[in-house]
Amino acid sequence: MFWFIVNTFEEMFERIQQGRVPFRATSFFRHSQRAGVDSVPLVGLVSFFLGLTMTLLTGYQLQRFGTERLIPGLVAIGFTRELGPLLTGIMVAARIGAAFTAELGTMQVSEEVEAIESMGIGPLRFLVAPRMLALILLMPCLSTASNIAAILASSLICKAYFSIAFPYFLDLVKDSLLIRDIVTGIFKSFLFGLLIAAIACYRGLTVKGGAAGVGTSTTSSVVTAITTVIGFDTLYNIIYTNFYPI
Amino acid sequence: MSTQSQVVELRDVHMQFEEKKVLDGLSLTVKPQERLVIMGQSGSGKSTILRLILGTLPPTVGSIFFKGSEINRLPRQKLQEVRRHIGMVYQYSALLSSRTVRDNVALPLEELTDKSREEIDKVVDEKLELVGMEDSKDLLPEELSGGMKKRVALARSLVLEPELLLLDEPSAGLDPVIASVIDELIISLSEKSKVTSITVTHEMESAFRIATRLAMLYQGKIIEEAEPEEFKQSKDPVVAQFLSGSTEGPILEGSLDAITKK
Repeated sequence: MFWFIVNTFEEMFERIQQGRVPFRATSFFRHSQRAGVDSVPLVGLVSFFLGLTMTLLTGYQLQRFGTERLIPGLVAIGFTRELGPLLTGIMVAARIGAAFTAELGTMQVSEEVEAIESMGIGPLRFLVAPRMLALILLMPCLSTASNIAAILASSLICKAYFSIAFPYFLDLVKDSLLIRDIVTGIFKSFLFGLLIAAIACYRGLTVKGGAAGVGTSTTSSVVTAITTVIGFDTLYNIIYTNFYPI
Repeated sequence: MSTQSQVVELRDVHMQFEEKKVLDGLSLTVKPQERLVIMGQSGSGKSTILRLILGTLPPTVGSIFFKGSEINRLPRQKLQEVRRHIGMVYQYSALLSSRTVRDNVALPLEELTDKSREEIDKVVDEKLELVGMEDSKDLLPEELSGGMKKRVALARSLVLEPELLLLDEPSAGLDPVIASVIDELIISLSEKSKVTSITVTHEMESAFRIATRLAMLYQGKIIEEAEPEEFKQSKDPVVAQFLSGSTEGPILEGSLDAITKK
């Protein structure tokens, strides 16, 4: 997997060295549209619901101690640092990772990938690079959309159930949120984007066994990507909290 | 080292897929402008030979040369450059299903040349006209018949003006008239544009029409190589049985009894 990522970037840079673009801009924008823009409603909606639930659950507990004012900070930090990237990663792995694997897998079994290779076109830079870059660059945007949706949902619940007005809610969010929470979330998103795209494309290009093989690889791709995203998130948190214990 | 006078040379090539030995010390040379037709039973490794020449499959043992360059030892970038001089038509066409006929044929030009959109369109039109597919430019591969796909694949393989053309069953699935047109096209490419070709086929009529030389692949080796007339007269029992299509002979020996018993 590591070498798959390295080879993809190597093919891209070789192409750039030749003074050519590694892939067509239209191809990159098509994948960005599909992976990023088209995922906004789903990511937004799920994050909105999770924001509502999280605020309600934590709100009633904190209310018992008279500390409802902690809710905005808790939701904001929880989402920007952790839940936003993680939730986005899981949804993108299921929605886009599966699509990438199925698409490339079908191309693989119908000899399309080999045909591309036989023309002297690098399949990694032609097929994998635009997908990978689209996902790497769009994941932080999707995470931001997820954070905004969750914070918006939280503000509605805070207003309706805990009498926290919008301006006060915003002040509490701003007071509690640190730049490094945002940076951490964005960095994680880049990493998850890279991992999901690499796993999905790798599984797609190594499909064997016809249509059944495409199905098996697609399932395996989604499961592997979700597990890897959660695994890397945990690993990242362990390392991060060792350096910046709060 | 292979000499530059040969376009392709396979030297003592062995190919094994897990337990199955496909090629067993195969050696073969192809000279410029030659139209070599490789014949053999289904699953005998004919398509594997084409993949070895393209470098999409590494041999288990042996060397493959294209114009003096050892394909299986070239670094990736060099191999990609070499492949631009080779056109390949796959048995099942291998057209990109999400791109139109026009976009399929234009792909190598868009990716590997600095031609403008107008120049690319001109070449695409010219090649599609050559195979009689100029009216299907805007169709998707799923809207084409098997024969039409094959003609588009042939047009795509020709856009970069290759020096070597590899054809895997080019006439299979085509009606006799179009099959003759494709055969004539292969002959004219070799005579006018000095294109060398290696064709893998089962179609006897087509094979003898195209070939300047025929080779018979059997049990991983080339057992007979000759010009068409000489090939027809071959005394080799395998070749004779293959050409006659008879069930009597060394091919299927033993296994025929098993089939008839079933």
